[in-house]
Amino acid sequence: MFGFHYRLERSAMGLVLAVIAAGSVGGLIEIAPLFTIDETVEKAADMRVYTPLELAGRNIYIREGCYACHSQMIRTLRDEVDRYGPYSLAVESQYDHPMLWGSKRTGPDLARVGGKYSDQWHVAHMINPRDVVPVSKMPRYGWLAQNTLETEDLGLHLKAQRRVGVPYTDEMIANAQADAYGQTAPDSEHAKGVAQRYGEATQVRAFDGDPGRVTEMDAMVAYLQILGRLTDAAHSPADKTAEAKR
Amino acid sequence: MIAQLTIQERQSALMILGGLALAGLALAVAGGQDLLAAHGWLTVVCALAGLFYVISGYFEPEPSPERLARYYDEPTKAGVVIAMIWAIAGLFVGDWVAWQLVFPDLAFEGAWSSFGRLRPIHTSGVIFGFGGNALIATSFHVMQRATRARLPDQITPWFVLLGYNLFCVIAATGYLMGVTQSKEYAEPEWYADIWLAIVWVTYFLLFLRTLARRQEPHIYVANWYYMAFILLVAVLHVVNNLAVPISFGSAKSYSVFSGVQDAMTQWWYGHNAVAFFLTAGFLGMLYYFLPVRAGRPIYSYRMSIISFWGITFMYMWAGSHHLHFTALPQWVQTLGMTFSVMLLVPSWASASNALMTLNGAWTKVRDDATLRFMTVAAIFYGISTFEGSFMAIRAVNSLSHYTDWTIGHVHAGALGWVAMITFGSIYALVPKLWNLDTMYSGRLVELHFWLALSGTLVYVFAMWNSGIIQGLMWRSYTEAGTLSYSFIDSLVAMHPYYIARAVGGLLFLLGALVGFYNIVMTIRTASAAQDESDAPVLGAAVQAGE
Amino acid sequence: MSFDHDSVVAFAKSFGLFYLLALSACVLVYVYWPSNRPRFDKAAKTILEGEDRPWR
Repeated sequence: MFGFHYRLERSAMGLVLAVIAAGSVGGLIEIAPLFTIDETVEKAADMRVYTPLELAGRNIYIREGCYACHSQMIRTLRDEVDRYGPYSLAVESQYDHPMLWGSKRTGPDLARVGGKYSDQWHVAHMINPRDVVPVSKMPRYGWLAQNTLETEDLGLHLKAQRRVGVPYTDEMIANAQADAYGQTAPDSEHAKGVAQRYGEATQVRAFDGDPGRVTEMDAMVAYLQILGRLTDAAHSPADKTAEAKR
Repeated sequence: MIAQLTIQERQSALMILGGLALAGLALAVAGGQDLLAAHGWLTVVCALAGLFYVISGYFEPEPSPERLARYYDEPTKAGVVIAMIWAIAGLFVGDWVAWQLVFPDLAFEGAWSSFGRLRPIHTSGVIFGFGGNALIATSFHVMQRATRARLPDQITPWFVLLGYNLFCVIAATGYLMGVTQSKEYAEPEWYADIWLAIVWVTYFLLFLRTLARRQEPHIYVANWYYMAFILLVAVLHVVNNLAVPISFGSAKSYSVFSGVQDAMTQWWYGHNAVAFFLTAGFLGMLYYFLPVRAGRPIYSYRMSIISFWGITFMYMWAGSHHLHFTALPQWVQTLGMTFSVMLLVPSWASASNALMTLNGAWTKVRDDATLRFMTVAAIFYGISTFEGSFMAIRAVNSLSHYTDWTIGHVHAGALGWVAMITFGSIYALVPKLWNLDTMYSGRLVELHFWLALSGTLVYVFAMWNSGIIQGLMWRSYTEAGTLSYSFIDSLVAMHPYYIARAVGGLLFLLGALVGFYNIVMTIRTASAAQDESDAPVLGAAVQAGE
Repeated sequence: MSFDHDSVVAFAKSFGLFYLLALSACVLVYVYWPSNRPRFDKAAKTILEGEDRPWR
């Protein structure tokens, strides 16, 4: 016993290995089964991927650190369901790399904010939150309306997303830039391609009220308006029970 | 500083800095118009500045072999000062964003100055800038003292310290520009993560190489904690930051994990960043500096070993308590809750071990503000670990989660435990490093202590109140069965507490400023004393050492 | 053994407990092994020795 420990300590590597052995088990056991969980969760057939414009909006949401104050995860508690809507399902953030569940609600949860307010409300709220909610503590994001959205590299974004597992097609990747424009310009020829690739239900309109150019505000509002609406799974009782085994 | 390096080490320094400059240039060129290029150029500038500095001292005489008979403390000295600078920067930004929640227009309509971009500067600034530098600096000190072995060479510790700070600067400037991967406490993008991984592996090897030079087979327990900190942070960092950049010319990347897997990985990381960055490393500090300052051995060495393995094993399971009532499978939530509650045992073992060590030395605690910093740290460690276990219980978590209670809990730990043990250790360390008996001013240490303690208490009580009120308001129903309060109602109710919180933070910041001043003055006193002493006497001392 | 979700979960739910017990046993044996006592006592005191120099 003594000799064994003596060697263990003398080499220091013994301590290293023991620390790794003790330390890695917990994470492994909790994380590993989540990679096989797809087998038990019913797929939501209507689940669609983000359009290039919505993905760009999501990246702005990340860039500005919105997740620091807004969660996107409605818990299975009565008051949360009453306040925000049906509780969030795992499948709803299936394509979220990374997830934006958040950890703090300085502002309200946004998991189902899509469709709750008009585009105009969102734009006014971003420019000065206190114009529409007098006691709001949110910073102003007026510059979003001035910044032109960078769309050139959206194809690369979709490609990287596909590499991590989001089912974007070659066609979606090739047309990413045109689709971003098309989604904000309903009268243009590109608008049809968006509906064709991402579904008829895709919201195609000038989100910031100005169809002339694609701004970061367009992307941001497009993203906010799709939150909670990529699939109806959470609203349909059948799928809910399938996942409510938890 | 260059005079301390051997010629060989100066050459390696030139090579490392040259390589870094080239890597920076590659990023800058590949980045083009992307924000990545800004960081490329930043790296180039830092590397060039380093190159010039090394070249300017290149022909200085080599250090004498006599140096091997002493510990190598220069990196520790630099690390302590850098840590204090980060403390002030991180606390300042923290207090600024706290005031932004009182007066939202304090962001001045800037993109860089809005809450969402400043907040990670605060969190990274205090955790990685202040905490990380303090950990690196003290670990260099403790690993040498507790093993009685000098650091194996003069260049690796500088590489670790300065390389780590390059990472911190890239992280902080990135947030200002909007470069973030949105993973809390792991916001920096892929290229910064790769750089940190390189620095961290070097740090780990440095630790092992120092340990290998020791004579005594048994490693003092403080070094176990430092080792767990270095080793497991590396594991956490690498796994959680796995991501695919959209191109090598872009700062943007996408995490390989999504949805529920990502949530679990992120909070496995997030909670264990608390465990192994903010607890294990600082327990290393506690187990070394508290006994040394009190002049008494640790109360129970055996208990310190048991709590070491308890913490190392159990913390890794606890992350899922961040995801109660979410789409994470319930058994994983339950497992996280169970282990979080069990964690109370090793945590309180450490806290009570520290306090029992002081038994019989309470007069010292009364008279010595430095020791009092450590004592209060141990008490807050006990409080916040109890609170943490409590909040991990599902029923409690349903109320506390998403509210300011979490913020209060985190700051009870971060201000009360982490910062207090760090300040205590720094005050114990600084006079030793600069060969003095005491700090420049004992009364300023005392002032710092009371500012820090009152700031922490004001902050924590404000957040406990606001958090619980918030949680209760969100879940209360009218008799008719409808929600009593709108979200906005709860926001209005938070206002006074946000003011109190910002005031508490301000007190804490003032304390850190006092501490910084005191440390700078101590260093100046030391160098003045050195100037006065006669050069030949110093030379004689060197000869005697040989 | 197949790696479907149920078996992975079953393994995860049971293995950790045994591992915890085994680890605790090892740690306790190590800590309370009589011959280790002098080394622990020595280690606890070494950091208090005043000599501020490396051993060689």
